[in-house]
Amino acid sequence: MVDPRMGEPEEAAALDARILAAIETSAGVDFDALARDIFAYQIRYSEPYAAYARSKGYDAGHLPARAADIPAVPAAAFKEAALATFDPALAAAVFETSGTTVGASGRHYLATTALYTASLLAGFDRAMLADGATLRYLLFVPDPRERPHSSLGFMMARVSELRGDGNTGWYLHGDALDLDGFMRDLARACAAGIAVCIAATAFAFVALLDGLAERDRRFALPTGSRIMETGGFKGRSRVVERADLYSTLSERLGLPESSIVAEYGMTELCSQYYDSAASRTAARRVKFAPPWLRPIVISLDGKECPPGIVGAIRHIDCVNRSSVVAIDTEDLGYASGGGIVLLGRDAGAELRGCSLDAEDLARR
Amino acid sequence: MLKTLPAANTLRDRSARAIVGAIADAAERWHDADFPPRVRAQAAIEARTGYSIPVIEYALDRLFGSLTARALSAAIEAEVGSLDALDAPVAQRDGRFAYARGVERAVIVGSDTTIGVALVPALYALIAKARVVVKDRDDRLIGAFFETLVQEDMAFAEHAVAEVWHGGNDPREARLFAGAQTIVVFGDDATIEAVRLGASTATRVIAFGHRASAGYVRRDDLAVPDLMDRIARDALLYDGSGCMSLHLLFVESGGDVSVSDFAQLLGAALERVAIEFPPGMLAAGRAASHAAARDLAAFRAASGHGTVVTAPAARATLIVDPPRTAPPPLAARIVPVFPVATPAEAAEYLRAQHLPLEALAIADAGHYSSLSEVALAGGAARITRFGEMQAPPAGAHHGGEPCIMHFIRWMDVER
Repeated sequence: MVDPRMGEPEEAAALDARILAAIETSAGVDFDALARDIFAYQIRYSEPYAAYARSKGYDAGHLPARAADIPAVPAAAFKEAALATFDPALAAAVFETSGTTVGASGRHYLATTALYTASLLAGFDRAMLADGATLRYLLFVPDPRERPHSSLGFMMARVSELRGDGNTGWYLHGDALDLDGFMRDLARACAAGIAVCIAATAFAFVALLDGLAERDRRFALPTGSRIMETGGFKGRSRVVERADLYSTLSERLGLPESSIVAEYGMTELCSQYYDSAASRTAARRVKFAPPWLRPIVISLDGKECPPGIVGAIRHIDCVNRSSVVAIDTEDLGYASGGGIVLLGRDAGAELRGCSLDAEDLARR
Repeated sequence: MLKTLPAANTLRDRSARAIVGAIADAAERWHDADFPPRVRAQAAIEARTGYSIPVIEYALDRLFGSLTARALSAAIEAEVGSLDALDAPVAQRDGRFAYARGVERAVIVGSDTTIGVALVPALYALIAKARVVVKDRDDRLIGAFFETLVQEDMAFAEHAVAEVWHGGNDPREARLFAGAQTIVVFGDDATIEAVRLGASTATRVIAFGHRASAGYVRRDDLAVPDLMDRIARDALLYDGSGCMSLHLLFVESGGDVSVSDFAQLLGAALERVAIEFPPGMLAAGRAASHAAARDLAAFRAASGHGTVVTAPAARATLIVDPPRTAPPPLAARIVPVFPVATPAEAAEYLRAQHLPLEALAIADAGHYSSLSEVALAGGAARITRFGEMQAPPAGAHHGGEPCIMHFIRWMDVER
C-alpha cells in the first residue's frame, strides 16, 4: 500500500492497513489508539510537527492518552511548513488551499492517494449514495485537468469516475461558469430520465440560480437526482442564507430540499463531513463524521466544549497519516446529536468595533 | 433640584453657546457613576459587548468627562473661529463676515461602534443646530443621553433622535439617507458602500472605516515612568476592539533591554493591568481568531521563528517577531511585537502591508517629530502618548476629519 518511492518505513504500511480496515469495516475502530499511533509516527518523521508537539509537552516518550489531547496544528501552519512525514518532493499528490486568510496558499502533501481515495469514496457512498445509485455528475468544481492541486476537484473526479455513468460534465473554468453548457447537458439528462448529481460551492449555486433566472429556465430533475453543496462564500461580495439557497435550488431545479446535502471538507483534511440523513428536513442540519474522523469543539483555552456550547472546531482525521492528524480551525460550531452543527466563521456578527481585521485587509 | 425648562421650540432658536452649555451639563450628570440612566446603560453595554464593568466605567468616564463646555467650545472655535459664527454672520479673523449655518438634517450611523463612538459627531451636529438621527447599536446609550439632553432643554426633543441600526435592512433608512445633507457612517467597507449608494449626490458622506492603531517604543524609552503599564492599558481596554486599541507594537532593538526581555516585562504589565481592567467575555469567533493566531505563533516559535509570551490572567498574547511578509495578526487581545532598528523600518512595514492607522502611540511626546514618518506611513490621524490611546480629547480629529465642519455650510456676507 505504501509507495516504495516515498522511502517510507514499514510501519507506514502497517498504519495504512489499519486505517484502510477502519474505512472498510466502519466499525470497531479504536479511534484513540489509532490516532495516538498515527501521532507517534508523525512526530518521528515530521520535524515541524515534532517540534510543535514538544512545545506542548509531548514526545515519543510522552504520548497523549486520548485523541482529544493530541496537539493540533492551526490550519494556517500548512502555509508555514511542509507538514509531511516524507520528502515532499516525492508526494503522490499536492493539494493547495485557496487562501482562506491573508497570505500565501498552504500545501497538503500526500504520500499516497490510496487512503484519500478510500476515505472520500466511503464517505460519499454513506452520505450521498446510500441507495447505490449510478448518477450522472454535473460539476461546478475545479477540473483536475485544469487545476491539478484542487482537493475538491480530485475528490469529485474520483467519485464521478468510479460511481458515475461515464458522462461527467465540468462547468467551472477558472472563475467562469459554463452555464449554457450545463443547462444543455442537464436538459439532455432530464429528457433521458437520467438522475444527476450536481456538485458546486454555495457561491457557484448562487451564480447558477442567477443564470437560470436571467434565462427564465426551470428544470424538473429526474427522480433520484441530488445536489452536493460544498460551502464557500469566502471572499465573495454576495452571501445568501443557506436556507434561502436550498429553497430556491429546490424550486428552480425541481427536487426536494432533502435531496440537497452539504459536504464540509478542507484541503488540509483527507476526510469529509456530510449532513446527516435525519437532519436534512430539519431547521438545523447536523454534520456527521465517518468513524475515522472525529470533530471536537474547543474553547479559547483548548478545552472541549460540552454539547450545545459554541466553540472552534478541531478535526482529528486518521486518514491524514502522512501529514498531521489533528488540525484546529476557526470554523465555529457546536456538538449536537453525535455530530456537529456548523456555524461558519462569523456567527453572531460579533462586535469588534471599528478595528481592522484580516478579512478587511483581504478584501482591500 | 428641578430646572426651569426653556420653552419647547427648536435649537435654531438657541445660541450655540447655550446648546454647548446644555450638552456639557448633561455630560456632567452622566459623568456621575451613580446617575441612574448611566447605571442602566452600563448593564446594557455589558450585555452587548461582554466587556467587564470596570472597562465600561472607564469608557463612560472618559467619554463624558471629555464633553466639557470648554473643550467643545475650543474645538469649534478652532474650526469656525467662534461659537457666535454658528448663530449669525460674524467677523472672521481675516475681516470678512461669514455665517457657519448648520445643515438641516444629519444622520449618524454607528453600525459597529463599541461604546458611544457615534455620540460625539451627533453632538457637534446638534451644536450646529441640525436635526440629527443616530442609528446605533441596541444598548440605547445614545438614546438615553438624548433623553437627558431633553431634560436640559426641550428643544432637543425635535432635534435628537436615536434609533436602532438593524444592519441597513430598514426601508425607512432610504428616506432618511436621501433627506440628509450630512451622513456620518462608522462601519465596514460594505456598510459604507451601501450608505453611499443610498445618499443623494449632494449629501456629504463622511466615512470612518476600519482601522488599526500602532505603538512605537524607542530604545531609550524604558526610563519613561509607567511605560509598560501604559502600553498594557492600550492593548487590553475593550479587548483590543475598536480602531483606537493597540494592534501592533514596534520596539527598537539594540537597547539595554532586549526585545525578548521587553516582551516579558510587557507580559507582566498585562497581568497587572488586568487586575484593574479585567478581560471581558470574548465571543466564540473572536476567541477562535485569538487561538488561531496564538497557536500559529507557537508553531512558528517551536521551529525557532519568534517567541510567544502569554499573560493568562489578562487572556492576552504577545507575539514577538512575527513574519514581515504578512499583515499583523489582527485578533482580539493579541499584540504582535516587531523588533525594528529604526522608525524607517516600521514605516516600511506599514506601507508594505497597506495598514491604515488611526493612531500611533509613543512614549514621549517630545519625540513626535522623529517618529512622524511612522505615523505618516500608516496615514495616522493622531499621534498620542501610550496610555491615552483610547482617550482622545473632545476636539480630536477622529479619522483625520474635522469636528463640526461637515455639519455646517458657510454663508459669506460681502459688505
